[in-house]
Amino acid sequence: MAPKADTQSAGAVAAADASSQFSMDPLFHILKVVPYSFLRAPRLRLKIPSVSLPSAMTVFSLVLLTYFMVVSGFVYDVIVEPPGIGSTQDPATGAVRPVVFLPGRVNGQYIIEGLSSGFMFVLGGIGIVLLDLALDKNRARSVKVSYAIAGISSVVIAYVMTTLFIRIKIPGYLR
Amino acid sequence: MSNSYTSDILKPFKLKTKQQELLIRVSILCLVYILAFITRLFSVLRYESMIHEFDPYFNYRTTLYLTQHGFYDFWNWFDYESWYPLGRIVGGTLYPGLMVTAALIYRLLHFLRFAVHIREVCVLTAPFFASNTTLVAYFFGKEIWDSGAGLVAAILIAVCPGYISRSVAGSYDNEGVAIFALLFTFYLFVKAVNTGSLAWGLASAFGYFYMVSAWGGYVFIINLIPLYVLVLLITGRYSMRLYVAYNCLYILGMLLAMQIRFVGFQHVQSGEHMAAMGVFFLMQVFYFLDWVKHMLSDTKLFQEFLRITVTCAVAVGGIALGVGMASGYISPWTGRFYSLLDPTYAKDHIPIIASVSEHQPTAWSSFMFDFHILLFLFPAGLYFCFKRLSDATIFIVMYGLTSMYFAGVMVRLILVATPAVCLISAIAVSATVKNLTVLLRSKTKVAQIGSTKGTSSAKASSKASLDQSQPFQKNGAMALLFGAFYLLSRYATHCTWVTSEAYSSPSIVLAARGAHGNRVIFDDYREAYFWLRQNTPLDAKVMSWWDYGYQITAMGNRTVIVDNNTWNNTHIATVGRAMSSYEDEAYEIIRSLDVDYVLVVFGGVTGYSSDDINKFLWMVRIGGGVFPVIKEPDYLVNGEYRVDKGAAPKMLNCLMYKLSYYRFGEMMTEYGKPPGYDRARGVEIGNKDIKLEHLEEAFTTSNWIVRIYKVKPPNNRW
Repeated sequence: MAPKADTQSAGAVAAADASSQFSMDPLFHILKVVPYSFLRAPRLRLKIPSVSLPSAMTVFSLVLLTYFMVVSGFVYDVIVEPPGIGSTQDPATGAVRPVVFLPGRVNGQYIIEGLSSGFMFVLGGIGIVLLDLALDKNRARSVKVSYAIAGISSVVIAYVMTTLFIRIKIPGYLR
Repeated sequence: MSNSYTSDILKPFKLKTKQQELLIRVSILCLVYILAFITRLFSVLRYESMIHEFDPYFNYRTTLYLTQHGFYDFWNWFDYESWYPLGRIVGGTLYPGLMVTAALIYRLLHFLRFAVHIREVCVLTAPFFASNTTLVAYFFGKEIWDSGAGLVAAILIAVCPGYISRSVAGSYDNEGVAIFALLFTFYLFVKAVNTGSLAWGLASAFGYFYMVSAWGGYVFIINLIPLYVLVLLITGRYSMRLYVAYNCLYILGMLLAMQIRFVGFQHVQSGEHMAAMGVFFLMQVFYFLDWVKHMLSDTKLFQEFLRITVTCAVAVGGIALGVGMASGYISPWTGRFYSLLDPTYAKDHIPIIASVSEHQPTAWSSFMFDFHILLFLFPAGLYFCFKRLSDATIFIVMYGLTSMYFAGVMVRLILVATPAVCLISAIAVSATVKNLTVLLRSKTKVAQIGSTKGTSSAKASSKASLDQSQPFQKNGAMALLFGAFYLLSRYATHCTWVTSEAYSSPSIVLAARGAHGNRVIFDDYREAYFWLRQNTPLDAKVMSWWDYGYQITAMGNRTVIVDNNTWNNTHIATVGRAMSSYEDEAYEIIRSLDVDYVLVVFGGVTGYSSDDINKFLWMVRIGGGVFPVIKEPDYLVNGEYRVDKGAAPKMLNCLMYKLSYYRFGEMMTEYGKPPGYDRARGVEIGNKDIKLEHLEEAFTTSNWIVRIYKVKPPNNRW
């Protein structure tokens, strides 16, 4: 829908065979007079690249990537700038132990825990998508079976891990 | 013979399949309606029917005024009891939708001779509208996908914690009504785009008017719908239906929205609404080009014309926008909405917006808490929508994506994302369950037909193996269905647990577990406000931090200096400066504001962590933003905020410290700890011997949570 601003190449073409094309474009006629009556348009072989709409599944994969970033708390990481992983000092030995999940608050995270949880959510979503692909009629049976197994295991793993994460993070969960 | 006899008796009750389906659908919707209502009643059952939090108290006070004085007095009300000495033009600075709705319900109930108090109506407005939202979600799901998805959407949104958090009974806030209005407007608009009917377009305009009257978040609608129209135009889905629907919504909606004084002429003046206007003119250009194409038979001519027109239209639009913004007629995006596009803006420039805990960005656990299973179903639902693109599914995908992005920027906006997430997840559930049940109900004669055709050996063998795997497939599908139902039941358990534990607290009454596991209730806030109401002169003015302003005016019935409306940053900064200065300078400011009582909230005895000492740094930042004499590093030690012996001297002697810890040094708060042990900070306080010169203690509640001080008049000359 954007106007093609190739009056230059149109001018070159018109200069080449002036009588064959008749244009209604006033801009073209102005340009024919003002610079190009005394300037010679160079011979160019430029082509405007054609922009076509991406397919639905391409857009879907981009959307999935964005969803992963949003749901793993990317904006939280950028603004609050938490450490990648927390640390605590063992009272007995004095050694520094890493703490993966930020304790105490629901709305707080370290970067790594956010990314791993986000990955689990996307894995669960992809599992359900694989299940739907497995039920599609037009594939070979072995492909369908492998999709189904991959889908079911993805969903199960994602659900179990997510429940485990939230149980670690919020000690009183479901009590 | 007895068989036919019983079947004769049961004959009038035997329903055809279509009637059975209708009965199932209606009964599911009725049950969901009731469920959505009763799951929000936890706090009413545990405590009592009262208004929660801070903002709802202002809404309650205005609704009370509306029912007592009528609509015109309410619309023209100037409130001299808040923001002393400035006052507040209430009629022009609020969104009346919620109050008018509650007042109408109140009038209706009184007309039917149910003499309920307005407070009960206010408390139960939000659950009532939540139930209505489930019905709208059903119709919306039916419009986008099919009635099965609609039913699942209704069920999911009835219990989703993201919505419950702001619509629990007692949470009498704009969002309770606004989410209903939002979903209703979107449903009506999608219906208008699908049918192209002017009636539905008109209905969507009135739905938009209701949304504008209810909540400031209407800006989301007036930006999402033009974005959606733009996406449809880009993907080549321009049609007459879209033209009719959008024009009707935009023009009528804009005119109706201007009736709300708070909104005023923003639809033509504010930068946030310009996208809608731009898309409106673009639609006219599209229609014009379509008409010219219809008139011309020469495509080459039309191409030239297209080029010229679009260039001119874009140029004229750009010039108009530039002139508008340069001359100042079109105001730029306000801070609140600009911080959604650039989340780092509020942190650096507007401390008031950054200080509200609801405005923090969202971590993964907040998402999990509020959505649970829906976080898996959302990408799956997006996949199904992308598989079957239509005008309606494109809309729900855009709504889902934009609202999820905003939910990631600000915790509070998880509420706006909830309907979209529920609808898209419902599509995933419905499509998956449909796939599985089709597999379950597929008859074995499919394999028999295949074997009789027998075109090639490979095909025959595959059909034979299909015959063999049929029972395996059926068992597999059955197992997967049970798995799906198990996941949904876990979702329901999670939602009920979250509602009960996290979102049903009234915030004005605090509860904790005592030493023996019994529940201990702290009702200090109401105790303090009631003391104010009964023991202070009627024209007394109370200074406190802005969080408590609405509650003091509503329950204490006294004039306040600043309240939650936060419309005047300088006034709030003056209060912040007073709280963070030494007592003598603070007394000057207090006298200049004509204050009689100062109220602080202190959590050191009970361990309550949302008290004024924990909020103190925000007072310093906001005060320092306007009065550079207040510097934040003065109150910190090595960048750390402390109240014990190692605290900064300015901190140990500022007014807030003195008012919070007056007489606290002799208090034994915990066994085995020295006197003056602050349980909220977990340290022993630094300055125990506090003497107040210009204020005297008037009242401290039984758990020391709210402390009220009387301002002494200045000394006589000597």
